[in-house]
Amino acid sequence: MKEVEFLVIGGGPAGMCAAIEAAGRGAKVLIVDDKHKLGGQLVKQTHSFFGSREHYAGVRGIDIADTLIEALDENGVEVLTGATATAIYDDGTVTVATDDEWIKIRPQRIVAATGAFENALPFPNGDLPGVYGAGAVQTLMNVDGVKPGKRVLMVGAGNIGLIVAYQLRQAGIDVAAIVEATGRVGGYYVHASKVRRMGIPILLNHTVKHVWGEKEVEGAVVVKLDEKFQTIPGTAREFAVDTICLAVGLTPLSELLWNAGCEMRYVAELGGYVAVHDENLRTSREDIFVAGDASGIEEASSAMIEGRIVGLNAARSLSRIKIEEADYEERMAYLREQLRQLRRGPFGEMARTGKAILAGDTPGEEPPIEVPPVEFEPLFDKGCRVVIECEQNIPCNPCEDICPRGAITVGGDIVNYPKIDPEKCNACGLCLTCCPGLALFMIDVDYSDTQVEISLPYELLPLPEKGMEVDAMDREGGVVCRAKVSRVMSSPKFDRTSIVSLVVDREYGERVRHFRIDAEPDGATAAKSPQAEYDDGDTVICVCEDITRRQIEEVIDAGAESFDEIKRQLRTGMGPCQGKTCQRLIIRMLADKLGRPVESFAPQTARGPMKPLNLDLLSRVEREEKR
Amino acid sequence: MNRIHQHPILKFERGREVKFTFDGREMTGYEGETIAAALTANGVRDFRESIKLQHPRGFFCAIGRCANCSMVVDGVPNTKVCVIPLKGNMKIERQHGRGAVRERS
Ligand SMILES: Cc1cc2nc3c(=O)[nH]c(=O)nc-3n(C[C@H](O)[C@H](O)[C@H](O)COP(=O)(O)OP(=O)(O)OC[C@H]3O[C@@H](n4cnc5c(N)ncnc54)[C@H](O)[C@@H]3O)c2cc1C
Ligand code: SF4
Ligand code: SF4
Ligand code: FES
Repeated sequence: MKEVEFLVIGGGPAGMCAAIEAAGRGAKVLIVDDKHKLGGQLVKQTHSFFGSREHYAGVRGIDIADTLIEALDENGVEVLTGATATAIYDDGTVTVATDDEWIKIRPQRIVAATGAFENALPFPNGDLPGVYGAGAVQTLMNVDGVKPGKRVLMVGAGNIGLIVAYQLRQAGIDVAAIVEATGRVGGYYVHASKVRRMGIPILLNHTVKHVWGEKEVEGAVVVKLDEKFQTIPGTAREFAVDTICLAVGLTPLSELLWNAGCEMRYVAELGGYVAVHDENLRTSREDIFVAGDASGIEEASSAMIEGRIVGLNAARSLSRIKIEEADYEERMAYLREQLRQLRRGPFGEMARTGKAILAGDTPGEEPPIEVPPVEFEPLFDKGCRVVIECEQNIPCNPCEDICPRGAITVGGDIVNYPKIDPEKCNACGLCLTCCPGLALFMIDVDYSDTQVEISLPYELLPLPEKGMEVDAMDREGGVVCRAKVSRVMSSPKFDRTSIVSLVVDREYGERVRHFRIDAEPDGATAAKSPQAEYDDGDTVICVCEDITRRQIEEVIDAGAESFDEIKRQLRTGMGPCQGKTCQRLIIRMLADKLGRPVESFAPQTARGPMKPLNLDLLSRVEREEKR
Repeated sequence: MNRIHQHPILKFERGREVKFTFDGREMTGYEGETIAAALTANGVRDFRESIKLQHPRGFFCAIGRCANCSMVVDGVPNTKVCVIPLKGNMKIERQHGRGAVRERS
């Protein structure tokens, strides 16, 4: 039995910050993560993060992970990678499995910072190889440097779908389109703009009807939906793609907390079942905390602050550690304020509401925010300066921080939109490359009598060369005119984003926001689905046990009213993924068919181990313990 | 090969180049990358045959949770190849059904 004061389960941003904060206060901390490298979601993020500078906004996710890993080391946190926490028992024992070891740990405090699991989307032939989760696509291309496919259809226009579509293009992979079932882009406008101007269409009110292929995905049929999410006949379109990337939401990974007997609650705004927790993220079990996506789907920025709050409170609750009351109060006030700031505005609403529901009250009145104008600034008439196309209340402000001349103001409220003071900007270009949304451009209207120069941030390869002629493109990815490249700037200060300047006729100055060196070869070969329709009843819902939609519907029609009843009859959820994929889908089916709310259906009882274990390992441990 | 050779942001630190086999076919990959990545780089996407419907299946989550990528690695069935690092001379096989229990070696 290994004794520690504070056990952190999960080494993403939330877990790492919890560990750093607690260790900084003198606690003896162990962090375990089932991956071989710490970082969680961060290790796949090539883009700069949003949020505030204090929480690494403007820094790429991959680099934030490295900074946090160093801080763990400096604070003397013990790290165990390749180690899965498989259960938390009533007496506080936690079992951890590595490839060849089975470790029992007795911590005084625990935090579950286990992150989230990607949602599946069932459609006919959706179990073919080539239908991948967005996280999987990211891991493959950004961690291993392998192309997941040649041409991708992205499903979901939330931030993840938009970012991954952009990252696919950075890796040189074609994206045919992004389909989104609702009528609006759920992600930030600035992320959507990045992909739109590259010519990737975002099809709103569209979804995948089926995919086809012999041994792997060969194409997909996309249809348009009406307001009731019903297919509009005659709208089917075929796409020749070999990969479908699903970015349709995340569910908090909470099995360990279920298993530990924490009080759980279904909160749609937070992505599913989460452990009920107080303001300090303490669950109904006094020794257990929760943080990050596991406490409700949000962002890395908020995950880091939640981690800090947990670390501080876990350390304070240890009898050995003394934290001055005033010191504690001051730190907590600061952290709470940071969280409140991040959850301001329209994009913070889900978290704001969700957390309030958990706490059993209604979200408090927020002071009103300044809403940005919907129109872009028209071309100005003299000088050279920055224009900002970030017209949304998103929690982000690195542009304000980086400008050495104070020309950009976001103001006290981090969700305010940034404004430029034309008098102060001297066109140094620093802000262009720090903006995670690539939403800043520099325009020199005095370039010549008839021409203007537009400088834009550019993160694709190959870089053009000075003097080259390229196609200048507009915000929707349409070709506007030919343009001459007048400058290409790269600098360590710009952190791998280059600035490319284009010269175009004055009349196009307002429209040109992107370019391409060559017209991309159109990967869109004609595709024909071998069948116009596939029976949705054949859609595999439980992929481990091969159970179809029809089979589940039959069991519900015959009277089954709970997940457990269906499981007893069909074995759904009893395969090696332990229901992670199908449970959510089946509960949805129950809710739809029986006309009851999703939260009225209990998920299956969680029992350790939370991961299939090798019996050989267990028997060996038992033999050793007997000795 | 489906490798990304040039990337505007990332540099891939790849391990030693090693040989392995997939259903008897010799392939090359890099030590330390996941088996799933090595197979995908070699154009292999069909990792197993599902237990009842005999559908072809590939990876889905790539974080060791969904079990869609279960293969037989050096004789051990139900190995989640999306999280297991590649080593030289590994013998990787497509898994059919639930996989058989091995004799104790
Ligand atoms: C494409 C994409 C883009 C994003 N962009 C941004 C952005 O610009 N700004 C931003 O703020 N946020 C962004 N996010 C969100 C952000 O990455 C997540 O909200 C954040 O990583 C959550 O942190 P976490 O620590 O809770 O979980 P994670 O980062 O998911 O880490 C959880 C860790 O726990 C491990 N784990 C789970 N279960 C166990 C167990 N039983 N035993 C041991 N280890 C376990 C996991 O393997 C993982 O390493 C993005 C996310 C994605 C997918
Ligand atoms: S170009 Fe330089 S001076 Fe102008 S807003 Fe950007 S950082 Fe400030
Ligand atoms: S313009 Fe400023 S606030 Fe908007 S995305 Fe860029 S850095 Fe963030
Ligand atoms: S792909 Fe999900 S476990 Fe390997």
